[in-house]
Amino acid sequence: MRLVIARCSVDYAGRLSAHLPIATRLLLLKADGSVLVHADSLSYKPLNWMSPPCAVSVIEPDPEQADLGVAEIWKVTQAKTGDLLVISIHEVLHDTTHELGVDPGLQKDGVEAHLQKLLAEQIELLGDGYRLVRREYMTAIGPVDILATDAAGASVAVEIKRRGDIDGVEQLTRYLELMNRDPRLAPVTGVFAAQEIKPQARTLALDRGIRCVTLDYDEMRGLDDSHSRLF
Amino acid sequence: MKFQVNRDVFSEAVSFAVKLLPQRTTLPILSGVLIETTDTGLKLSSFDYEVSAQTEIAATIDEPGRILVSGRLLADIASRLPNAPVQFSTEESRISVVCGSARFTLLSMPVEEYPTLPEVSAQSGLLPAEAFANAVSQVAVAASRDDVTPVITGVQLEVTENNLTLVATDRYRVAVREIEWDSGEASLPETITALVPARTLQEIGKTFGHSGTISVAITNTDDREIIAFQADQKTVTSLLIKGNFPPVKRLFPENVDNYAVINTGELIEAVRRVSLVLEREAALRFTFTVDGVTLEAIGSEQAQASESIDAHLSGGDMVVSLKPQFLLDGLGAVHSEFVRISFTRTDNPNKPGPVLITSQSSKDQPGADSYKYLLQPNLLLR
Repeated sequence: MRLVIARCSVDYAGRLSAHLPIATRLLLLKADGSVLVHADSLSYKPLNWMSPPCAVSVIEPDPEQADLGVAEIWKVTQAKTGDLLVISIHEVLHDTTHELGVDPGLQKDGVEAHLQKLLAEQIELLGDGYRLVRREYMTAIGPVDILATDAAGASVAVEIKRRGDIDGVEQLTRYLELMNRDPRLAPVTGVFAAQEIKPQARTLALDRGIRCVTLDYDEMRGLDDSHSRLF
Repeated sequence: MKFQVNRDVFSEAVSFAVKLLPQRTTLPILSGVLIETTDTGLKLSSFDYEVSAQTEIAATIDEPGRILVSGRLLADIASRLPNAPVQFSTEESRISVVCGSARFTLLSMPVEEYPTLPEVSAQSGLLPAEAFANAVSQVAVAASRDDVTPVITGVQLEVTENNLTLVATDRYRVAVREIEWDSGEASLPETITALVPARTLQEIGKTFGHSGTISVAITNTDDREIIAFQADQKTVTSLLIKGNFPPVKRLFPENVDNYAVINTGELIEAVRRVSLVLEREAALRFTFTVDGVTLEAIGSEQAQASESIDAHLSGGDMVVSLKPQFLLDGLGAVHSEFVRISFTRTDNPNKPGPVLITSQSSKDQPGADSYKYLLQPNLLLR
């Protein structure tokens, strides 16, 4: 990752033409080959960019351009479309390169995954005598968050959501239908567990014989305000 | 089916039958009210597998039968009918309602699919209606509305020989009240308990408040757990909540000698006034001294407020921080001119001792009822 802060003007030629007049900007040159031009505003969006694969070549300015104060010109060419991003650098204020290594990627939903882990550890929240079989129990159409057994030893499939919506109930219904075809598991009952369950989702779940359990995330992870409570 | 019925009697019966119906149901027939003819008149019922309501009224029956019609619609119609006898008759799948010059035609729902109402077992005991309604309104305020803990969304009823105790809590406060219970002929096991959804119990309290005596039947076996309340030809049943109610009665202090007695109305007014400047969820600070009690709302940049009112203090000075709504719930429930706020000491520096709110009929005379409301104060912010 190369970070350059420079006074520059930018011209884009290709399917869309655009011009950024001279100003101080942040130029990002990423390891994947992309080039992004950022200003100190517009939030996360770059002013202009070129997606990979692309080639960057540095060329000397011609005398006319040099008279206008251009120190060097970066030509960024898109390999497939031939689109061209021309950055005219007037002055480089900062230029560093860092090796970032391989990124582990975005965690899909931190809270949901954490809720799954916590509930697996505190499976008795579902009721006395409940035991964990495994997390991420695989079915032909995807993994069920938790497979457990109740006090009587019957299988229970648990779907965990941060916000319990109709979609989540539908998802659990599909899993249950499939799991109930498995003679080693059947009969499987469902538990829909979420931090907050929408009234419509609750009604649908109960109609399908799925139990709803509201989870207290703060209490489960031990961030409890027990000093403000009697017990 | 054909019958004629008094307009006011019918309207009251329908509104009773539909009161406990759920707002949304996935089985449309459960939104109906079942009307059946009996030897002496009519029986109106509603049931959603959790709660059932049933009442009998007098009517002139010309032709016996059973019909099922949309409950809320019928209740709306009945309450708006002109003051004249109401005539019902069925014409194939339609029901015609004629009252004075008004005429309605309603669609009848398939009565064969309607579930059978739960049977009421033998009577467990009798309750004085007014005291029961009063006790429910005092205790149910403390019940939790949070689905995280289903067990404490109910009011726990505990019956001993001649005593019924009602208990509710949301973990921030506990409310308890005892009333008389007459076991009559029934021979009960030593103690029976029933955990009834607070919302249902509140409706039952309102419905039977002026009924004189309520007959109660509790069935608490493994496969069937219901409670039934009966009075004035009306029956309400409710499924019980499963689970063990937390042992909250042991949280109450044995005896307390540090307490203040305050005029209830004055304190309620002052709390409402001073808490106007509070941010949501913030607490009020109460300083009790021999000169009275001072309420202070601090912690907000925008505005502050304070007020001092009379208080009779027994024991040492005390400072507590209480959430205004929790305090108001307790003050509104004591139903007495004065209120006693008792303080408990604790050795735990991170958790103040709870305060106990009880009724007080005059400055030095404790209240007649057994109502107790225990509230956990917040940490004091210096």
